[in-house]
Amino acid sequence: MNRRNFAAGALALAVLPMLAACSGGATTLDTPASAPGSAAAGDSAIVIGTANFSENQILGYLYADVLKGAGLTVTVKPNLGSREIVVPALQNGDIDLLPEYQGSLLLYLDPKATESDSDALQKALTAKLPQGLAVLPPSAAEDADVFTVTKESAAKYGLSTLADLAKHNGKLVFGGPAEDKTRQIGLVGLKEVYGAEFKAFKSLDASGPLVKGALKSGDVDVANLFSTDADIVKNGWVMLTDPKHLIPAQRIVPLIRTGKATETVKTALAKLNTALTTEELSKLDALVDVEHQDPDTVAAEWSKAHGLSG
Amino acid sequence: MIDLLSQLAAWLTSSGQWAGPEGIAQRLLEHVQYSFLSTIVAALIALPIGLFIGHTGRGAFFAINISGFGRALPTVGVVTLVFLASGLSMTPVYVSLIALAIPVIVTNTYAGMIAIEADTKDAARGMGMTGLQSLWRVEIPLAAPLIMTGLRLAAVQVISTATIAAYVSFGGLGRYIFDGLAQRDLTQVLGGAVLVAGLAVTVDLILAGVNRVLFRHRLT
Repeated sequence: MNRRNFAAGALALAVLPMLAACSGGATTLDTPASAPGSAAAGDSAIVIGTANFSENQILGYLYADVLKGAGLTVTVKPNLGSREIVVPALQNGDIDLLPEYQGSLLLYLDPKATESDSDALQKALTAKLPQGLAVLPPSAAEDADVFTVTKESAAKYGLSTLADLAKHNGKLVFGGPAEDKTRQIGLVGLKEVYGAEFKAFKSLDASGPLVKGALKSGDVDVANLFSTDADIVKNGWVMLTDPKHLIPAQRIVPLIRTGKATETVKTALAKLNTALTTEELSKLDALVDVEHQDPDTVAAEWSKAHGLSG
Repeated sequence: MIDLLSQLAAWLTSSGQWAGPEGIAQRLLEHVQYSFLSTIVAALIALPIGLFIGHTGRGAFFAINISGFGRALPTVGVVTLVFLASGLSMTPVYVSLIALAIPVIVTNTYAGMIAIEADTKDAARGMGMTGLQSLWRVEIPLAAPLIMTGLRLAAVQVISTATIAAYVSFGGLGRYIFDGLAQRDLTQVLGGAVLVAGLAVTVDLILAGVNRVLFRHRLT
């Protein structure tokens, strides 16, 4: 459902044995049909993995559709788990390709990284990725944290950038997931970078029904949402801009095993990355999260409509 | 593992952790307050229902099934639903905790009432007692141990579930679990869980003790 759960999932104790299994090589992902190297198709066969939230699955199926269109044999393994599971699976060769997010992936590789704009992130990722893995050029689409206010509050308090929040220190109520209280992309960074302080912090959920409900009813004034959340457009909420680059870019990048990054694959994914914008991705997210359609159907229809599935 | 346990011990015993508006003492107090209020309100609703259907034998099928339905409700779902309807307040927390506690009190009260032998009730009537007199002087005293068990079960369930107050931004011991998970601070999560479990066990033992004192003359 969202990018943050992707990382937080690692905490669940239940995941630990799975992690061990992944790094040990004896993984449950190794079904005979998809074992790396076993397919006669060789370079033209590719296994796509996805994390355990709907947007990432849609992206995985979109990758699958365009690569099938380019003539490859594609297997999709959806819903594998959090980043702490899928990235090691990629290193082991259980999967070959994975839709990722620039900022979050870099923080996973290097928790102290400070790069925030897309180009710098791309460079840092290339430097920090382990041997054998590479990121391809990013998509136009981005799923980043975004601090959002209602149209009415924006007008009432004159809010359009995060810097405007400091004009109303101690007056506004902030809502977001519990981690916002202690992390950089949250109260800490808003104070450090923009000098913004709030009347109260309400610990709710990550771009879920609680924080959106509270924003709608006026119980919170500023809410931390995700930029692809369809409710932002639907309700006409205002996303505060980030002139000082507190929030790292989270454009979507294909993370791939270098051996699989052939010209055919690169060209096909580049076409998809140009066509897929944040707005388009939020529409796809809404079809799955709000209308409860299947991610693979949604992806197939979209790539067909955009002439990408060949 | 040993590391984690020693960190947990340090967390639970540090005096800084116990003091202040976000300290354990305050959180414990909030947790007890949420749980106590919910259990009391649930008892005020559930006891009359249980006594009525047990005494009259009327509406039992309806009441037991409705309360069984209440048991099957996922608490987080109720919280979210009420939150969306009523906004950011303690209402969703209280509604869901009360809904959680009612079924067990109703069914135990009812079970206590129907376990009374018909002969006993007949004898009460035969001595000239009215229905209400029979209820107060004969049936309730006889059903009391089971009624108390219902209250005790409800209290323990409510205490262990009151952590959801933190889900909608409020306090209580759930704060440590939700914040710890979000901040990947396993010590804090474990500390919160241990405190909730400790509180639930303590209250259960206290109520068990009360039961023993109250009903010490009973054969059963």
